[in-house]
Amino acid sequence: MLKKPCGTFDETYAQDIACIRTPFRAGLLILLLLFIFIIMPLVADDYVLGIMNVIGITVIAMLGLNILTGYCGQISIGHVAFIAVGSYTSSILSAHLGWQFWATFPSAILVSGLLGLIVALPSLRIKGFYIAISTMAFHYITIWIILHGGDLTKGVWGLPCEFPIFFGISFDTERKMYFLIMALSVLGTIMAFNLVRTKFGRGFVAVRDNDIAAEFMGLNIFRLKIMAFIICSMYAGAAGSLYAHYLGMITVEQFPLIDSIWYMGFLIIGGMGSISGAIFGAIFYRLIAQVVIFTAPMIGEAFPSLSVSGVAGFTQILFGVLIILFLVLEPRGLNHRWQITLSSFRLWPFPY
Amino acid sequence: MAFFLQLVVSGFLTGSVYALMALGIVIIYKASSVFNFAHGSIVAFTAYLIWHLMVNLHLHIIFAVIISLPVIIIIAYLIQRLILYPLTGQPPLAAIMATLALAEVVNGAITLFWPGPARTYPKFLPTGTIQIGTVFITLEEIVNFIICGLAFTGFMLFFQKSKLGLTMRGTAEDHQLARSEGVKVNRIFVLAWFIAIIMAGIGGFLMANMHGVNQEPLIALGMKSLAVVILGGMESILGAVIGGIAIGLLEALGAGYLDPLVGGGVEEVFPFIILVIILLIKPYGLFGYKRIERV
Repeated sequence: MLKKPCGTFDETYAQDIACIRTPFRAGLLILLLLFIFIIMPLVADDYVLGIMNVIGITVIAMLGLNILTGYCGQISIGHVAFIAVGSYTSSILSAHLGWQFWATFPSAILVSGLLGLIVALPSLRIKGFYIAISTMAFHYITIWIILHGGDLTKGVWGLPCEFPIFFGISFDTERKMYFLIMALSVLGTIMAFNLVRTKFGRGFVAVRDNDIAAEFMGLNIFRLKIMAFIICSMYAGAAGSLYAHYLGMITVEQFPLIDSIWYMGFLIIGGMGSISGAIFGAIFYRLIAQVVIFTAPMIGEAFPSLSVSGVAGFTQILFGVLIILFLVLEPRGLNHRWQITLSSFRLWPFPY
Repeated sequence: MAFFLQLVVSGFLTGSVYALMALGIVIIYKASSVFNFAHGSIVAFTAYLIWHLMVNLHLHIIFAVIISLPVIIIIAYLIQRLILYPLTGQPPLAAIMATLALAEVVNGAITLFWPGPARTYPKFLPTGTIQIGTVFITLEEIVNFIICGLAFTGFMLFFQKSKLGLTMRGTAEDHQLARSEGVKVNRIFVLAWFIAIIMAGIGGFLMANMHGVNQEPLIALGMKSLAVVILGGMESILGAVIGGIAIGLLEALGAGYLDPLVGGGVEEVFPFIILVIILLIKPYGLFGYKRIERV
């Protein structure tokens, strides 16, 4: 939980359960919101806003995975499949029935949630890597169904998806989408932050730490696991729906299994089991991908024998090595480093 | 009936290769309780490695295999020493993610070194088809089956008779006891990885010989051996054999009878559907130990 600086006392219950306890934190939060909603759109060009949009969508997806894996301890390597389901639900409703964003977005969340319920069923009897394998199998099955969906999913050709329209304003540029995506990801962050402080959130942590002990304490662990799966898949569905409406066109190739592995891996790099860790992971994931895009031409020049796909292989190696390095050297992730930095500022000039 | 028999025979012969690859996963799991998600990538990597030695360096098949062995030992040692040894005692998620990340590193290495379209081995086996009754079998399938059988017998003898094999089995039973008897447990882990990579290599080589050296199908093949291991049970060598043949049969039958109904490609997804059903009904597989946990 939040660490308080010296001299902050809780005198009422309202203070005890407050999210923002010190003026310093409130200031930080206001600065962050100012930065996101006012400064960024003023100074950044469309390219930077495009990166921010992808980061925002990734943050939403990562928050869901963090609730399932970081808080409830169930390993999911099928996260991209949930995102794909959200995307395809939105696109099918948009392309075939002509529904608007305000209708497709909740439908995508609902459909993904239902699917999460189905995927959660094996978790009644299994745990650990068995769940990882069952989610992986779920990914293969989902992608196969999408590929063989006939006219509904248009197979390998993919589906168009209309840009969101609110009150006659079409969100068809990066700048307009930026506000929508950021508003939704801030909302998702607040929801996740509060969710993990509820009875269910604490139940998730109990299941993660030891599910038998949790059951012994009277928690219905099957219900908790199913809830974690449903919440995770709903976040993924929201991210997928946003992604589809943001891109305007989706194909099945945008949802490879490898992305699920990167989501898991960068959640570990960010720091599992904390909301800020998930956000760090999402930002780090997309920024590293940008760095690779920038450096790829240089690598191509330095080693002319490599082809374009060779540089893609370099990306995979870099990401994989990063994940292994973090697992071995700093399993608690960037968030842990951030907390250490924060507390050393707070305690200065004393070492601890 | 002829169609059914044809499917059964070809499914059985494919299943024998699956069984060999699944054995690799089982050996690593038994020795060090690490579930190796990188198996599919290693299958592809070894197939490419032998292709490289045979075609780019113009080596005979036997020399190519002999030269690839020290490379495999070095890889096994590096995996164990640099990745899995530091993760001892971490939660199971760490080992799972480490092998998944390793899989991507290996995949990346393949695209880095050998980009581009699929390759084929130079032909060194007789090709042709023989007919038994109404069933057609290619000679390559028979050779695959014989090589898999030989590999099985070899490794079974190794585990039953040789001192090193017995040491490995003992280590799998109890690390602490093995250590107190003076067994270097880390070396046993390296040996387990070495044997597993050889199994993956043989399987990958045989499949690549039939279908071409191509990254995606070979990785998918290794992923299917996950279904085999789950069906057979994580700890059982017999389970890997039976599971491999069962998955091969089910896949061939499913593809044969369901393909016309849904328009092709069933064999890509059928093992995973079986896998989910097994996990729902009998999560520890046919011959796996049912774990009893205490708080």
